[in-house]
Amino acid sequence: MVVAVVLPGCSFNGALPIDADSADLIPNAFLQITPDNGVIFYCPADEMGQGIRTGLATLVGEELDYHPARMEVRSAGAHEAYNNPEYFIQLTGGSNAVRAFYEPLRQVGADTRALLLSAAATDLGIPATQLTTEDGHVVAGNRRYPYGDFVATAMDLDMPTETPLKPATDFRYIGQDFTRVDALVKSTGVAQFGIDIDLPGQLSAVVVRSPVPGAQPLSFDDSDVRSQPGVRHIVPISSGIAVVADSYWQANKAAQRLTVEWASNSLSQLDSAQVRADLEDAVAANNGVDAASEGDLDTAFNTAKSTLSATFFAPFLAHAPMEPVNATLRIDGDKAELWTGVQAIGVAQGLVARITGLPLENIRVHNQFLGGGFGRRGTLNHIIEVTEIAMAVEKPVQLLWSRENDLQNGLYRPASLMQLRAGIDDAGRVSAWQARRAGGDLTVETLRNSLPGLMPGMPSGMLDGLATGMDYLFKNWSVDPSSVEGLHETYSFPTYEIAHTSVDHGLPLTFWRSVGHSYTAFAVESMMDELAETAGIDPVSFRLNNLQGKPRMQRVVQRAGELMAAMTLPEGNHLGFAAHSSFFTDVAQIAEVSVNNGAIRVHKVTCVVDCGTAVNPDIVRAQLEGSVMFALTATLFGEIEIQDGAVVQSNFHNYPILRMDEAPAVEVEIIESTAPPTGIGEPGVPPLAPAVANAVYRATGSRLRDLPLRLA
Amino acid sequence: MISFLLNNTEVTFDGDPDTPLLWVVRDNFKLKGSKFGCGAGLCGACTMHLDGAAIKTCVLPVAAVAGKAVTTIEALGTPDAMHPLQTAWVEYNVPQCGYCQSGQIMAAAAMMANVPNPTDDDIDRAMTGNICRCGCYPRIREAILSVAASLAHEAVTGESTS
Repeated sequence: MVVAVVLPGCSFNGALPIDADSADLIPNAFLQITPDNGVIFYCPADEMGQGIRTGLATLVGEELDYHPARMEVRSAGAHEAYNNPEYFIQLTGGSNAVRAFYEPLRQVGADTRALLLSAAATDLGIPATQLTTEDGHVVAGNRRYPYGDFVATAMDLDMPTETPLKPATDFRYIGQDFTRVDALVKSTGVAQFGIDIDLPGQLSAVVVRSPVPGAQPLSFDDSDVRSQPGVRHIVPISSGIAVVADSYWQANKAAQRLTVEWASNSLSQLDSAQVRADLEDAVAANNGVDAASEGDLDTAFNTAKSTLSATFFAPFLAHAPMEPVNATLRIDGDKAELWTGVQAIGVAQGLVARITGLPLENIRVHNQFLGGGFGRRGTLNHIIEVTEIAMAVEKPVQLLWSRENDLQNGLYRPASLMQLRAGIDDAGRVSAWQARRAGGDLTVETLRNSLPGLMPGMPSGMLDGLATGMDYLFKNWSVDPSSVEGLHETYSFPTYEIAHTSVDHGLPLTFWRSVGHSYTAFAVESMMDELAETAGIDPVSFRLNNLQGKPRMQRVVQRAGELMAAMTLPEGNHLGFAAHSSFFTDVAQIAEVSVNNGAIRVHKVTCVVDCGTAVNPDIVRAQLEGSVMFALTATLFGEIEIQDGAVVQSNFHNYPILRMDEAPAVEVEIIESTAPPTGIGEPGVPPLAPAVANAVYRATGSRLRDLPLRLA
Repeated sequence: MISFLLNNTEVTFDGDPDTPLLWVVRDNFKLKGSKFGCGAGLCGACTMHLDGAAIKTCVLPVAAVAGKAVTTIEALGTPDAMHPLQTAWVEYNVPQCGYCQSGQIMAAAAMMANVPNPTDDDIDRAMTGNICRCGCYPRIREAILSVAASLAHEAVTGESTS
């Protein structure tokens, strides 16, 4: 989860960042209606593949009564009007956009439609009560008038508020499948990503950074770099040394010739075995901070029919979005323009302001399509870098990270060790549940990286103090919710105790698709499978036994159980089951797996999901399909290893990503619901690893408790 | 000076002959549809056609294409006149983030030119060089098979299904 941090006054609140013709109606920050009946929607969430432009356009279009597929959807600029209603800043993450904007954006559509009806009533001389609308038109009897006809009149009218919203039974677009608003541009090479920005006179920069994160250069020798073709500048910056050339290829090639002597730091001696040993020591010390508890655990264990303990490990992981992070900045006098693709554009605006000293209103941010996000584009170190470089070279600059930079100098999902202990009663219920997690915390680090952009005017010493205070709080008194989320919440265990020990090695950490759930579900759902076997109960019934008071997940597990019972398998294939609640959404998955000569092959994954109202069911299915592939990469291959403080993995040959020939078939069943929508970008990730591990057990008799799954 | 055909137009490049074709096409000829993903020929985001064959261009020196024909996503089809695969990509809502899709479509188009009615194994072989981090693989497969089916239908009936 993302911790909501209320930081009033830290978003830009000047003029809206909209360039419009004066004949266009701009009734609010989100809509622009042209006299020729075009509708432009300024989307307040960042499109990184999750389909949010389509989803949010659907919410507005439903109440505006204008087909979302015909809207022109643009990325909103940096402005507090576009703040996420739950985070109070512009941030896309935590699978909350459709849920958090579900009412506000429908209200925007409804109020705008009411305004247009009112203008039509004035122009046509017909009472508004006798007018209705149909897909972008006002309908009066048998005549239809485009909304655009009433734009001029609407400009002089007061904006209605609190217009009643439609009942779900009247929905025309919500709940329907239609083509994503970005499918055409993304199928024809036309979609513009940050990397595609090409300004006149633009230079290209790469940054040489220490292999050991955070280490500073003691000295460097650039004599062999300056003479290379196209090289214009060598610029030491806060994170390393920038090589600036006419093109990326020239800059990157020349940068290989830079020799740097790096200082050592606290990470320099670290390797993966040490990380593992430190986590094991931390769990064994049994002095973690209480994260959540209920009931008398000792008594519960003493009276349990049988008990079981197991320890699970998940490694560091990189996001590896297909588009390496990049940003293009042009500083022109007292104005600056930034083109990039990030999950927090207000932070980007604030970082440029902080470093250049320019006021926020002089900085425009043009957020492009994100070539994958997964949490990686919420931390904006590359914006700091490009700003420092652009100020030094006094030309427009594009900074592009290589794939090697992305994997070796990036941010990581924390490694985690989880020790679980459970007792079951005679009825096959979990009567005692204890979970200890040791590993890094990511919320403070993400906040530490974001505060300078959120509060561009505040001195860095004060911000460090704020972040350090929160860090101290999480290490000693409280627990970062992201570190332990998912360790018990799916079920209704009567007695439990969740404890946490922060182990911070100093590797940069951040949110990675499904965050804490990405490792906790592996531990919990593998454990539930072992407990079901101990209890002599099938995995589906055993889970249902432990879902009292969780009707939504009960239904999901029940339905997945029915689908599993009906499956017929080829010889040698085995099924594994897992279920997990995250981001207010319930998902169960059944993995069909075979093992040959130690090689795990996943043939098919069947998903059942309850995400409330499926605003666009086809995008819900696509997110489940994609989540399965993303999680399967982590399950079978994903591992960032550390050696002498540096990341070993460097490109896709040693950080493999699932490919076409390894991709399972995916089936998705969406539970019918009229409840408000819940998250969908992330909840498909957590159950996959344990579903596969549980199937591998059935195939081989081996319980694999370390990720990635490897048979000896 | 290196001359080659780029999307049926004769072009020349007089920079460093070691420059990978990808960067020549993106930086010098300003065609941005082909993407940079790994710089090592491992992910396929940069896939173009060289004399009709799918090729990873982030590691291909431009010197190697002298006198040859290079085709990029921009010439395979346009939003107004899409290649059948592009039409299918839209119909099946294939793209998520979309960054890899130019490469995916170019790889699929080269395969279909030789194997108009591919099996699952043919698709695996042709598409395995192209990574999609969003995991659109099932839809890519579905879209390719749908084009193959409509081509087969056309061959039998002489009618287009689209």
